[in-house]
Amino acid sequence: MTATVSSATLVGVEGQPISVEVHVSTGIPSFSIVGLPDAACRESRDRVRAAILSSGMKWPQKRVTVNLAPSAVRKGGAGLDLPIALAVLIADAQLPAQAADDVGFIGELGLDGSLRRVPGVLALAHAMSVSCLVVPPDCASEAALNPGVAVKSGGNLSAILACLRGRKSWEVPKPPSQESPPGRCLDLSDVRGQPLGRLAVEVAAAGGHHLLMVGPPGAGKTMLAERLVGLLPPLDICDALEVARIHSAASLDLPAGTLGVRPPFRAPHHSASAVSMVGGGGTQMRPGELSCAHHGVLFLDELAEFSAVVLDTLRQPLEERQVRVSRARASVVFPADVLLVAAMNPCPCGTNNGPGSCSCSDSARQRYASRVSGPLLDRFDLRVRLDRPLVSELLQDSDGGTIPGDCTSNRNESTEMVAARVLGARAMSSDRGYPTNSAIPSNCLEDAAPLSTGASRLLEVRLRQGALSARGLHRVRRVSRTIADLSGWSGALREEDVYSALALRSNVLSRSPGVSYGAEAVGARNG
Amino acid sequence: MADDSSVAPGCYAAALSALPGMGPAYLGAILGEHHPRDAWEAVVSGKIERPAVRGEDLSGGRDVRAVDGSAVTAPDTTSKRPWRTLAASVDPVRWWTAISQHGIFVTWRGQVDYPTALSDDPSPPAVIFWRGHIEYLDAPCVAVVGTRHPSRDGTGVGFEIGRDLAAAGVCVVSGLALGIDGAAHRGALEALESASGAPPVGVVASGVDVVYPKAHSALWEGVASAGAIISETIPGRPAQAWRFPARNRVIAGLVKLVVVVESHARGGSLITVEAALQRGVEVGAVPGSVHSDASIGTNQLLFDGASVIRDASDVLSYLGLFTSGGPSRSDRVEQERNRGVHDPGPHGDRARGRGRSSDVRSEQALDVISRRVLEAMGWRPITTNQIITETGLGTPEVMRSLDVLTGVGAVTEDEGCYTRVS
Repeated sequence: MTATVSSATLVGVEGQPISVEVHVSTGIPSFSIVGLPDAACRESRDRVRAAILSSGMKWPQKRVTVNLAPSAVRKGGAGLDLPIALAVLIADAQLPAQAADDVGFIGELGLDGSLRRVPGVLALAHAMSVSCLVVPPDCASEAALNPGVAVKSGGNLSAILACLRGRKSWEVPKPPSQESPPGRCLDLSDVRGQPLGRLAVEVAAAGGHHLLMVGPPGAGKTMLAERLVGLLPPLDICDALEVARIHSAASLDLPAGTLGVRPPFRAPHHSASAVSMVGGGGTQMRPGELSCAHHGVLFLDELAEFSAVVLDTLRQPLEERQVRVSRARASVVFPADVLLVAAMNPCPCGTNNGPGSCSCSDSARQRYASRVSGPLLDRFDLRVRLDRPLVSELLQDSDGGTIPGDCTSNRNESTEMVAARVLGARAMSSDRGYPTNSAIPSNCLEDAAPLSTGASRLLEVRLRQGALSARGLHRVRRVSRTIADLSGWSGALREEDVYSALALRSNVLSRSPGVSYGAEAVGARNG
Repeated sequence: MADDSSVAPGCYAAALSALPGMGPAYLGAILGEHHPRDAWEAVVSGKIERPAVRGEDLSGGRDVRAVDGSAVTAPDTTSKRPWRTLAASVDPVRWWTAISQHGIFVTWRGQVDYPTALSDDPSPPAVIFWRGHIEYLDAPCVAVVGTRHPSRDGTGVGFEIGRDLAAAGVCVVSGLALGIDGAAHRGALEALESASGAPPVGVVASGVDVVYPKAHSALWEGVASAGAIISETIPGRPAQAWRFPARNRVIAGLVKLVVVVESHARGGSLITVEAALQRGVEVGAVPGSVHSDASIGTNQLLFDGASVIRDASDVLSYLGLFTSGGPSRSDRVEQERNRGVHDPGPHGDRARGRGRSSDVRSEQALDVISRRVLEAMGWRPITTNQIITETGLGTPEVMRSLDVLTGVGAVTEDEGCYTRVS
């Protein structure tokens, strides 16, 4: 006698529907699982047998074969325990076959029949085409975020059997609430001083430009980065679901009872391995930090302390906004549309306040700076040099206070005010047909970001000086466009927009020894 | 420059210096008594043998000190074969002709082109190989040396001193090493680029055709083609560690003044200083911050009585030459004093005159905002962020005036920080 029960397994961050088929026939009692199960999945025979017996049911003393179809897909994890147990009971005629019609089952079984949570339930629910889904109670609210599926759960196997037989009613999770949780958000008004740093995070949030902050410890780099995520507009339902699916697959905690619409903020420690950043590892190919920060901010503090291999693996995903992880067993595409924000010290001693003001030698500074490769540095549209705030700024009132000679009144703007401007700039960008200004292709810059006479004169001087490369020019134009959008100006880029963009693109790191001392002249004469 | 008649003996002198275990003192003694060709024939016939024991030997390194304090040469490790058999297997004329085709020359003591300054040296090089024009050493020579790991400021000072000395007709002698040496050479080359001046001379520890350090290959070629590169080491041979202090004594012997721009507490430039003191050559040092590791050695030299060198004009006045070009730092102190301003401000004397500074001092032409930015800057490196905070101006205004100030040379930019220079 055979039985088929629907379930799903996780491949990367996507669910893969699985049919659990069980065949029970006369013969020497045995139990085998076929269909590329991994170790955790193969061990389910012992869990399933113990759970069935502890739930008061009989274990068939027959030849039991479990097939997980499609058989070419590798199945990992213990999420198939519950469907296997039910399929065995149906095949052994201990449960009516129609009980499992059009119902999907996911869950790990304990030896006593209890149900344990499974990672990636949201993605699994998304992948299955059933009208009703039974999941462990711990992840019922998570699965319920997925629209269009009726999610039910029961505390243990015997409760589920009772519900399936109609002797008991299902536990139904509360439908997800529509409003986002109030949750405290770090406010930009906490940051004292740092006018350029504030401008940088605002431009980064509005235009999706990657940001590198260089400055001594205590300058407020981390503070600014943490507040950047509050400036990003909330995710729409589609993106929020995608983010929640990835987080679910990565076993991260999701906000209870609601769909998180706040963009994620991930700050991995600098000891992170390449696999932990881009994803992979194991049969299930867990998403890495890059994917966990999808549609949000990936913050790399102490950028120079990350291993060079890890940093260079980021280069291609940053361009393509997704990462394809290929292993012998499988190849998986993880989404990776992140806003990269990085912070580092200018030199090994960290006390530096400009060249020549600390005890680090030039060669030590260059070695430190060269830990960030040129191609990676090139990905940062915004590079700012920060320093510790002045004492007067630290002590001033949070409601603005007074700085002598202060003519800009927006020194301590709150997140709310800046986020409103960011939203406006993003709207202007999407009117032009680009999600953010950083996505404007270089051949469309002439239409999207035309230059005024003053601006083009200024850029021409920089190009002639060699201070700007062709690629740098495109990037400055995109950033200038964002700065103009933030001020509500949609016309040709003005000179001041370009000046501000150039202020946000300074040579933050010590590079190429001797360049400022005539090395080119020597080379040119002999070249 | 070597003419045809000197090429033939030159090849024997070069070949003699290539023999394993041959040091400058022994070779100098041989060449003092014999014509190089005769000396070579004596080696081939076995009349001149490898020295068993040598006295004070500058090739050093292999010497061991005996109990009674005399130096004893350890057996040579590179080749155990006697000179006779080594010499019989080479043809000096063919070997040297091949080398000289690359524009490499050789001279030895007593020749016309041997640098005059070295002829009375206590331990002169026996032979000198060179590329370029060795006669540039006839100009007044000053060594500008220092650490291979300078501060940014030290690199700038080395560059300025090299540039201004070369422009004033002083031959800048240095070691073509990383750091200060390279900066001084670059400065001298820049002076040649923009105006006339004395070409620099590099004294190196490797063969004149073996670039070391590799990072300086462009600079090496620049110095060789504009000035000269000289060495005691035969062409094609990389530098051994003991060659560097030996090279430093040649630098000290060539010059009238050794200027140390920056030196760590135990820097290699202090070896040059020691050699200079042995020869009665004056030593000058550039004062640096007492907090800077790169100035510990130089500040100690000043404490011990070395001359204070603030810029090229201090060097020129020591040499008895007149300064040309803009007012020097010392002049400016004098002017301020005459004006009755006794104290030039806490940082006033730290400003680095950059030649162009004289025309931006009277910056009536600067607009109000640029002046405000300049005043807010102080004299230390400052970030754009700080300038915006200090002035309360908007980002575009600050950037625009920094553009203006950089354009007139009042401000320099480095690593995203701006420094006021005038």
